[in-house]
Amino acid sequence: MSDTLTRSEAGGGTPPASGPWPIELDDVTVRYPNGVVALKNVSLSIAAGEMVAVVGLSGSGKSTMIRTINGLVQPTGGRVTVGPHAVSELRGRALREARGDIGMIFQAFNLADRASVFHNALVGRFAHMPTWRTMLGLASAEDREMVMRSLDSVGMLEKVWHRAGALSGGQKQRVAIARALSQEPAVMLADEPVASLDPPTAHAVMADLEDINASRGLTVLVNLHLMDLARQYTTRMIGLRAGEVVFDGPAATATDADFEAIYGRPVQARDRLGE
Amino acid sequence: MTTTAIPARPRTWPRTLGIVGALAVLTALTATPALGGVEIDLGAIAKNWTNGADRIAQMMTPDLSVLPRTWQPLLETLQMAVVGAAISAALAIPLSMWAARPTNPHTPTRMAVRFVLNMVRAVPDLVYATILVAMVGVGALPGVITLVLFDVGIVVKLVSEAIDSADSAYMEAGRAAGGTQAQINRLTALPQTWPAYVSQVLYSLELNVRISAILGLVGAGGIGRLIDEMRGFYRYDALSTIVLEILIVVVLIELASNVLRKRLR
Repeated sequence: MSDTLTRSEAGGGTPPASGPWPIELDDVTVRYPNGVVALKNVSLSIAAGEMVAVVGLSGSGKSTMIRTINGLVQPTGGRVTVGPHAVSELRGRALREARGDIGMIFQAFNLADRASVFHNALVGRFAHMPTWRTMLGLASAEDREMVMRSLDSVGMLEKVWHRAGALSGGQKQRVAIARALSQEPAVMLADEPVASLDPPTAHAVMADLEDINASRGLTVLVNLHLMDLARQYTTRMIGLRAGEVVFDGPAATATDADFEAIYGRPVQARDRLGE
Repeated sequence: MTTTAIPARPRTWPRTLGIVGALAVLTALTATPALGGVEIDLGAIAKNWTNGADRIAQMMTPDLSVLPRTWQPLLETLQMAVVGAAISAALAIPLSMWAARPTNPHTPTRMAVRFVLNMVRAVPDLVYATILVAMVGVGALPGVITLVLFDVGIVVKLVSEAIDSADSAYMEAGRAAGGTQAQINRLTALPQTWPAYVSQVLYSLELNVRISAILGLVGAGGIGRLIDEMRGFYRYDALSTIVLEILIVVVLIELASNVLRKRLR
């Protein structure tokens, strides 16, 4: 089955079940139990199919913001809506189903290093497969097919039976992207996806995300702290500083002065990745 | 001459001295009978050592003629050890997951599992064996049940602690994909935990051989029955043969588990 897959067949990708979705944050506040206010009354409206960068220094609240979108962090005030799901009001099964439609990749890749690439990517099928199937280790033919297609679309199919821990950083992030694509998501979230990678690999992964937005038509929201990556790969930029939106506009034309306002300090060499 | 300003090295000796002093005082207190400490009469060694000396001398000359009689009970001991380790290994998989925070974020059930396991561990194995012999009769069965209870206690404790201290960032990905905790545990936490788990199961197998030598004293099967008999007849030369046999078996199991552990890296 997997051997008969061709690049062109998988490269186009299966469209998500219900097309790209808009994301709405309405007056969202997150106050952690230790009293830290990570987000302050953030309101945003992201259209279906947009490619958005969220830029800010570490501690600016961008990790918290992206996690409110799939309910990994519950807002203490306000409302988050992703397509048909009122995420901030969901619990239990309904929340898991909503998460199943929202893909996410992470700075540290978050793979189970001792599990195979296949099983790591199969994690993306969790919301689509009954728990008993997972417990018995029986993936359906459809789940297998989906995982193989996703791995093929990021060029990792030949590593499918390798252990995830044996891969390089760039390969791990590709497997993590395949894991998210296996969900057939309508929205893709990326939390500092290239911060642990060397510059050429970082550009390759950003290009993958750009492709997911362009050819699959997914709404993509990517957290970055580097200004050149935001300018090059995204169309809209949201600047966060101390939990508040301080910039919202086209990424390509954002000036150094805009970045200085977001960072709260002069632009430095380390704010750019370079080639 | 260097002009580099070296930061002043923090003075740690007062703290070290304090810790060593506290330990010394604690040791002195526990050995002072007047304060309720343990009574250690070193004079007793000098008075009584000849009583043990001839037994030790007898043990130095193992009587190998007992060997043919040991095969059957030794085999029974090994069977009990393997069966006990296997049953406890199967029980330990879900229990370890329920007892660790990353694999079971639900605090009440986690605490309940931990509490029950603490109870299981608190009862000495000889007490289990004695009660079980009374309940199910003399033989290997009470021994096996005792070993299962003992093994579950230690394997679950050590494996769940390994899960607690391991990096579990991969769980966030499972949660973000809409997985249930059971799905995340089965597909990702299980392979991540495998080396710690196999390691502890092999260790429990080794312990089982040692323990089942004792269990025979209360009628719970295995080579302990023979040990008890030889001790009763003051056959310390035959006893040492059995001790040597157990030593060889334990060393063989340890060698085998070392090979297995290396392959698991």
